[in-house]
Amino acid sequence: MVGKDCVAIACDLRLGLQALTVSNNFPKIFSYGDVYLGLTGLATDVSTVADLFRYKVNMYRLREERQISPQTMANLVSSSLYERRFGPYFVSPVIAGINHTTGKPFICGFDSIGCIDFAKDFIVSGTASDQLFGTCEGLWEPDLGPEDLFETVSQALLNAVDRDALSGWGAHVYIIEKDKVTKRLLKGRQD
Amino acid sequence: MNHLPQAWGRPRDDVYGAYDHSYFQTSGPKQSTQQPIVTGTSVIAIKFKDGVVIATDNLASYGSLARFTDVKRLRQFNKSTILGFGGDVSDMQYLDRLLLSLAIRENYSSYSSASDDTDDTSNLESLNAKNLHTYMSKVMYRRRSDFNPLWNQILVAGFGNDEKPFLASVDLLGTTFSSPSLATGFGAHLAQPIMRKVVPDEASVANLDKETAVQTIRDCMKVLFYRDARSMDKYSIAVVTKDGIDLKEDEKLENQSWAFADRIKGYGTQVV
Amino acid sequence: MASVFTAPPLADNGPGYSFKQTPTTHISADGTRQHSFYPYTDNGGSTLGISGADFTILAGDTRSTSGYNINSRYVPKLFKIGGEGPEHTGSSIVLSVVGFAADGDALKERLDTVVKMYKYQHGKNMSVAACAQRLSHILYNKRFFPYYVHAILGGLDEEGKGALYSYDPVGSYEREQCRAAGAAASLIMPFLDNQVNYKNQYIPASGYGHDLQPRKAELLPRNTVEELVRDAFDSAVERHIEVGDGLQMMIITKDGIEEVYSPLKKD
Repeated sequence: MVGKDCVAIACDLRLGLQALTVSNNFPKIFSYGDVYLGLTGLATDVSTVADLFRYKVNMYRLREERQISPQTMANLVSSSLYERRFGPYFVSPVIAGINHTTGKPFICGFDSIGCIDFAKDFIVSGTASDQLFGTCEGLWEPDLGPEDLFETVSQALLNAVDRDALSGWGAHVYIIEKDKVTKRLLKGRQD
Repeated sequence: MNHLPQAWGRPRDDVYGAYDHSYFQTSGPKQSTQQPIVTGTSVIAIKFKDGVVIATDNLASYGSLARFTDVKRLRQFNKSTILGFGGDVSDMQYLDRLLLSLAIRENYSSYSSASDDTDDTSNLESLNAKNLHTYMSKVMYRRRSDFNPLWNQILVAGFGNDEKPFLASVDLLGTTFSSPSLATGFGAHLAQPIMRKVVPDEASVANLDKETAVQTIRDCMKVLFYRDARSMDKYSIAVVTKDGIDLKEDEKLENQSWAFADRIKGYGTQVV
Repeated sequence: MASVFTAPPLADNGPGYSFKQTPTTHISADGTRQHSFYPYTDNGGSTLGISGADFTILAGDTRSTSGYNINSRYVPKLFKIGGEGPEHTGSSIVLSVVGFAADGDALKERLDTVVKMYKYQHGKNMSVAACAQRLSHILYNKRFFPYYVHAILGGLDEEGKGALYSYDPVGSYEREQCRAAGAAASLIMPFLDNQVNYKNQYIPASGYGHDLQPRKAELLPRNTVEELVRDAFDSAVERHIEVGDGLQMMIITKDGIEEVYSPLKKD
């Protein structure tokens, strides 16, 4: 979710096999320098893709001797997913970050084969995406400050996952500003 | 052929195998329409300030075969209602008989009951388009609920209780809706966008005159003939107004433009 | 006849176009083909009901769809029940139905007849609670060939408080504070949880950890509810293609039923 000079990215913590909950501490957000990547979908692919991009982003940093920007990361994710066009990773990623040269917030989302969705407001993904569309469309407004953005993104996520049987069990929320990142852990409903 | 009369006029067993008599079975499980056979394509209609214009072409197709080229798919009911039928033609003919019996029953009873208390029968309350649409929707919904649908989509054009132009649709499932312009089948894709430009909402109906409405319908029929493979250039058009119905059943599409064709392979103008 | 009811076409053949009604063909292993008629379709749209201290608001969009086609931009999903004559004069119960519109119309007419007959036979108006239970029975009576609709019934209870009942297609029902139904129900419902029942909201600095006090839900005033309904539908229109064109609201108070229409985006 985009705010004024800040972005937020949040995820729930449930890991399930259909209706059976396997773990209640499975974060779906991974950091690559200043860029944050959220991954929903098949858990084995979530881990694989997260590790794959850790490798790719590390290689990028060593070769270029600078941090990757969120825009570059978006294109990296897109091309990497499209490489597996006919045997895709079953994930739908979300990227959030602030571009360190322009200082502008950036978010985007993808389908499982790398089609990029550049959005100015918010990106949702996962089993609760319908619910998230409803809450985000209802609660979000332009130019929210970091604290208001945190409240908005948290309320949007918690209320959405409470109406989805396959999501929940607490949440992680990252508020990304130009010079700091705040990570908060939300308890949420434990059922 | 042999000398046994029962084999005459039948496919030869030695060529086609034993004849399957099950098709002629009169007993056995009850059968019902599960797919349309001979079909009519789009019906289109548009409301204007004094009434409704409605049109269909005169074709009944058998799959991709243009089977019957002189089938009238607009049916008049009483003095000021027109029904347009899309879908199965045999079901349309059944409904035609049903409506005929309804008209006889209804007009006979209202005539006799009215003559009891007054001699004036000129302004009798008979079934109007709105009443007829309700009747049709009940027939269609009942038949779908019996799993024996009448495979049609029908537009009803005329006047409502408030004397305003009335146009509504009912289909094989009993779904009903009403709108300033309506189209069935391919017309919903090709004609409806053209008609909605002319009457985007109910309020704009009051500003639409008869000439523009008729011209819009004629333009739509041309577009449908150009791009709907199951259509024909002979069509019926009816204008329903307070003064009665002007129904023309032998219209021909005019001012067709095939100027583009000589540059395109497949229209028979180019040999190589 | 009930046993003839067949399963809906498989989900893998795309959206439920109305012209899908042309033969649904199943080919068995032995090569025989069976055509079947599927008696339902989905006409899209969404409805929403919220009850307050002395009123109930029901709302629904007015778009009717089949597949990607818009049948009409004005087909109401809200119906007055009971009252006098075809205009339902003096009625104080509203039924909203979303799903298969033909079943919705049939259901509305059944319930309307029942409520009117009750008045003729007993000389008094049917209470919402009685009407609600009767609606459940009407739906359950067709348990094995259901009315394919999500119904919401609204009115005022015998104490004059707002009453709202929601149903599944086979008649299981519950009295609630608020409920969204139809195509965009999954989008609207969590928003309502948050804004009507204050779910996941806490009183700031009221304690640490489990001592933190949740914000208590209260009955909302009428203008707040009307704003929430409009916000909910504006959001739904933005993200659901089957919702749009117009918003019809009916507000039931002790003075009767007030009907409000406002436009929604037509794209």
